[in-house]
Amino acid sequence: MNELVSLKGIVKHFPGVLANDNVDFTLRKGEIHALLGENGAGKTTLMNILYGLYRPDSGEIYIEGRRVEISSPKDAIKLGVGMVHQNFKLIPSHTILENIILGLKEVGFIINYKKISEEIKKLAESYGWRINPNAYVWQLTAGEKQQVELLKLLYRDARILILDEPTSVLTPQECRILFQALRRMAGEGKGIIFITHKLDEVFAISDRVTVMRKGKVVVTKETSKTDMSELAQYMVGRPILFTIEKKEPKPSGEAIIIKNLKAFNDKGVLALKGVDLVVMKNEIVGVIGVTGNGQQELVEVIAGLRKAAEGSILIDGINIVNSSPDRIIKLGVAYIPPEPLRYSIAPNLTLVDNLFIKAYRYKPYSNGILINWKKVYKKADELVKNFQIISPSLFTKAKSLSGGNLQRLILARELSGLIGDRIPRLIVAAYPTKGLDIGATEFVHKTLIEYSRKGSGILFISEDIEEALMISDRVAVMHDGRIVGIFKPGEVDIEKIGLMMAGVQGASTI
Amino acid sequence: MSIQWIEQVLQLTVQMGTVYLLASLGEIYAERSGVLNLGLEGMMIMGAAISFIFSIAYGHLSAIFIAAMVGALMGFILSILAVDMKLNQVVVGLALTLLGIGLSGFFTFPEIRKNILLKLNPSLPVEMLLTQQAEKLPEIPIPLFSDIPILGKMFFSHNVLVYFSLILSIVMWFILFKTRIGLTIRSVGENPSMADSLGVNVYMVRRATTIISGAFASLAGAYFFIGFHPFWREGVTAGRGFIALALVILATWSPLRAILGAYLFGGVETFQYRLQLFGLGAQSPYFLAMLPYIMTIVTLIIISTENVKKKIGAPASLGIPYSREE
Amino acid sequence: MTVVDVAKTLTIPYIIKIQKRLYYSRRLSILTTFSAVIIAFGVAGLFFTIIGLNPLEVYSYIGGVFASPTLLLESFKRAIPIGLAALGLSIAFRMNFWNIGAEGQMYMGMLASTGIVLLHVYYGLIPDYFVLLLMLLAAFFTGGLWCSLPAFLKAKMKVNEILTTLMMNYIAMYLADFLIYGPWRDPKGYGFPLSVPFPEYSKLTIIFGEFAYGGLLLLCLTAVLVFTILKYTKLGFELKIVGESIETARYAGINLSKVVTVGGFIAGGIAGMGGLTIVSGIIGRLRPRASPGYGYTAIIVVLLSALNPWLIIPVSIFFGGLFVAGDILQATLRIPGAAVEMYQALIFLFIVIGEFMKRYKITITRRVFG
Repeated sequence: MNELVSLKGIVKHFPGVLANDNVDFTLRKGEIHALLGENGAGKTTLMNILYGLYRPDSGEIYIEGRRVEISSPKDAIKLGVGMVHQNFKLIPSHTILENIILGLKEVGFIINYKKISEEIKKLAESYGWRINPNAYVWQLTAGEKQQVELLKLLYRDARILILDEPTSVLTPQECRILFQALRRMAGEGKGIIFITHKLDEVFAISDRVTVMRKGKVVVTKETSKTDMSELAQYMVGRPILFTIEKKEPKPSGEAIIIKNLKAFNDKGVLALKGVDLVVMKNEIVGVIGVTGNGQQELVEVIAGLRKAAEGSILIDGINIVNSSPDRIIKLGVAYIPPEPLRYSIAPNLTLVDNLFIKAYRYKPYSNGILINWKKVYKKADELVKNFQIISPSLFTKAKSLSGGNLQRLILARELSGLIGDRIPRLIVAAYPTKGLDIGATEFVHKTLIEYSRKGSGILFISEDIEEALMISDRVAVMHDGRIVGIFKPGEVDIEKIGLMMAGVQGASTI
Repeated sequence: MSIQWIEQVLQLTVQMGTVYLLASLGEIYAERSGVLNLGLEGMMIMGAAISFIFSIAYGHLSAIFIAAMVGALMGFILSILAVDMKLNQVVVGLALTLLGIGLSGFFTFPEIRKNILLKLNPSLPVEMLLTQQAEKLPEIPIPLFSDIPILGKMFFSHNVLVYFSLILSIVMWFILFKTRIGLTIRSVGENPSMADSLGVNVYMVRRATTIISGAFASLAGAYFFIGFHPFWREGVTAGRGFIALALVILATWSPLRAILGAYLFGGVETFQYRLQLFGLGAQSPYFLAMLPYIMTIVTLIIISTENVKKKIGAPASLGIPYSREE
Repeated sequence: MTVVDVAKTLTIPYIIKIQKRLYYSRRLSILTTFSAVIIAFGVAGLFFTIIGLNPLEVYSYIGGVFASPTLLLESFKRAIPIGLAALGLSIAFRMNFWNIGAEGQMYMGMLASTGIVLLHVYYGLIPDYFVLLLMLLAAFFTGGLWCSLPAFLKAKMKVNEILTTLMMNYIAMYLADFLIYGPWRDPKGYGFPLSVPFPEYSKLTIIFGEFAYGGLLLLCLTAVLVFTILKYTKLGFELKIVGESIETARYAGINLSKVVTVGGFIAGGIAGMGGLTIVSGIIGRLRPRASPGYGYTAIIVVLLSALNPWLIIPVSIFFGGLFVAGDILQATLRIPGAAVEMYQALIFLFIVIGEFMKRYKITITRRVFG
């Protein structure tokens, strides 16, 4: 029995999307198996099922030949399965040792710090790590924190390890240390599943690779028997290029000039490493690339919600880097953030409240102290009509609206010039069609194109290459905090795009 | 300012401080596991009331025991409301406090006390049925140690509960930081989902700590009454339960630091009475009475400043009910 | 055997599942609220029987309060300070500012009003017709200040407002004690801790000659004011957003410090006016412990009214009636006024539980072993 894990016919639905479509997957003993695919391909969902965070709608799980039901991470750990997520589940104010031994009955009543400390140190050394078990987790770097997460599992004799995009937070040296450790684990007979979107990593570490796309397994191959361009092709597929009625844009001046922009992300790692980009008015620039390469940080810096470390952003000759959001809004920048329900929409407030959440303080909707609700409701009706927001009434709570309608709400709020009734100079949209159905998606596209014709410059981030190629006038590829390629749709073939997204050397068009 | 005077002051400080100490010890455990018990005041005053009744009916031992049991029951109720039903902890805590204050208020009336006492112990003599005060717990000075100048009086000439509180603080500190149980409790308060995924029963842990906090709060009330000031009055604890809450924050959730904080507040209260002897005017008692409360506010402000917060913080999930997400 | 193990051995052979309800009808809603009140009375009744009282007798008195016109009027009187404090709280709670300090803010209002009266009576600094107005302003201002300090601390430094407002309560009460046992004691009062009686024109009896009506008018006007603030002003809108989520408020560009502090000021100010109605309406002078916990009752009232200014008025009257009943019970059946607090707490508790029941369904099934 060589197979540690066998997943057969796994199906998992989420509202509106088939995340796993009849997936088969096996993991052998002593193997490092890469799970490759774009965002939304279904890789994390599949692994979450193996780790007990989700239950599959149908399908079977076998561990070491035995059929099992995994209903929670507790069960998974008992079966020897462990997962290290992108967001670490650690307690920063406790020591490494305390994080590792939590919940272990074998430890006994009084914690024998000395003995356990020795054990942990030895265990870590066997994988090439040097740690001090009595250090506090908040003092550690991302790489060290990851080691603690792994030790948590290894200390419990995990035989199957799942790592979700582990290198996204690591420096190159830390990557090397990790890979060494993984090889040693594999050498001990453990099986490792390595979720990634980076092609070079697949070839650096894995024995076999499975490519997933849109919920299905495309192929499973021995890594030695394939190459990068083949994998890139599998990953990205053949696009269906619809063409949209688009007149040639007549650029009339720059909307925004970004030069050498550098910024840190929330974890303190440099996310933008020198972005250069120009968006003209009347132009739509689509930015593609795998999520997590700096796109979110880029839009946040432009919107004034994140500080830049270096570089400049010029709007109309004014450098807006590190300005307040209020000022940037006044300069005519509209920001459509991703994930509407996080903080840009207040779910318990009504539709009209959300529409006016920024505009309530400006004339003619308020004067001094009072709010003129009559004018507000009138304008709200107008916006609902123009932007086709479907809702029982103006006073429906936002949380009852569908994602598509929430997106329309945000578009209405940001684009309709509530503040000053102007066409925005620049529209920055991050994943504006994520999770939307076809109708809503079409609407968003139409609206963006309409505004670009009216004179706005549009910078939008997309996970979907087809979408970007469809509506953009130019497409930029972002990888590792930089723009590695920029071209007009049709100029570059899909394979090259995939290579650029995967950060393969020599692929950039710049 | 003789040695005797100093000794007396210190002794009183410890005695007053014990009330805060007992209550805060239990609350430290509850908050370390993520539960905020705003019912402390109600549980404390119930403890005082119960100890009053039962010490007359059956004596000190039963008074202490039953008081703790009642507190544990109230803690249990809180755990159902806050942990299982995930209701807003502030709201239910306040409700329990009001309930406790209300229930204990009944014991202010001699008629009602008489009824209850007769039911409990029909053989009580009449004057005991109508008394407004109970017998105080006897002081048990520890031989030899209590003769040490100053420290002797301060630490070794008290009643049982004071000694208990000191020993308890050390034991609870040990358990919290050196044993597996303590680690579990702390982890549940910091990151309950992590603890849950590693097999810890978060609900059970929180239930246990809430019951403990209730029991100790009532114990503190019982101590306050029969161990310190056995004269009943409506609202006898005067907000000390809430001060204990502030004390937990001041002590940054550590049982050992709680001793320092408790005696600090106890000291302030002691001076309230002593300074009168210095003839600082008859008006002073009220301003001095304000001192513990003002100190609490100052404490809260200091703890909230950025640099203090960075080094020592509240348990991350304090006050947030835990529910496992699909 | 650790604590956790012991607990495990206590598991009962049933599985208790708590699931969210998909919807709940209006009928269910009203039914739950009613049953909550009835269960509360039931539990209280149980308690009464234990301590030797006849619950039915007790309840007949309570019912009697609402049946008799004079007692009903008395309930209105009590409802006024409660209602005013609750109206203030509706503004505070709207922005998630847990103001437990209504009691202290009321005391400050009492002190401010008494101060004005004393200035007038002893120093003749203020013309007669001006006194009441000045009292109102002073009460509002001091109550407001008393609340805006904790509010500011929360806005700027995130200091926990539950504890700060609570502590301010005790400070205010002791301040009142100091004044009434000291410099503000009426020299002609035979040594009792009472202030001079308030002159007629400084009481709210100017309307229809009866405090209850004047007070009710004030209450209704304040309710209109609060309603207007919450619904029609920029501040009201901003309060709503801040209460919803601080991140959203920041995203919308709201100045948190300003909004929270101003909101706190208004909330405390209205509570301060509540204090005014106690000394100037109900009692007619200042005395120690003038408020039997109205500030805490107000918390229950505002939560039960779901922060709705219009609901606050009838709910306040109900609780005012409870206080009146408490007084009567104390005089006749020799039950301490604490009974009232107990009711309040019980009603509150069960209604809160009722809220939970409305939203969640509890199913109990036998656990199958093996």
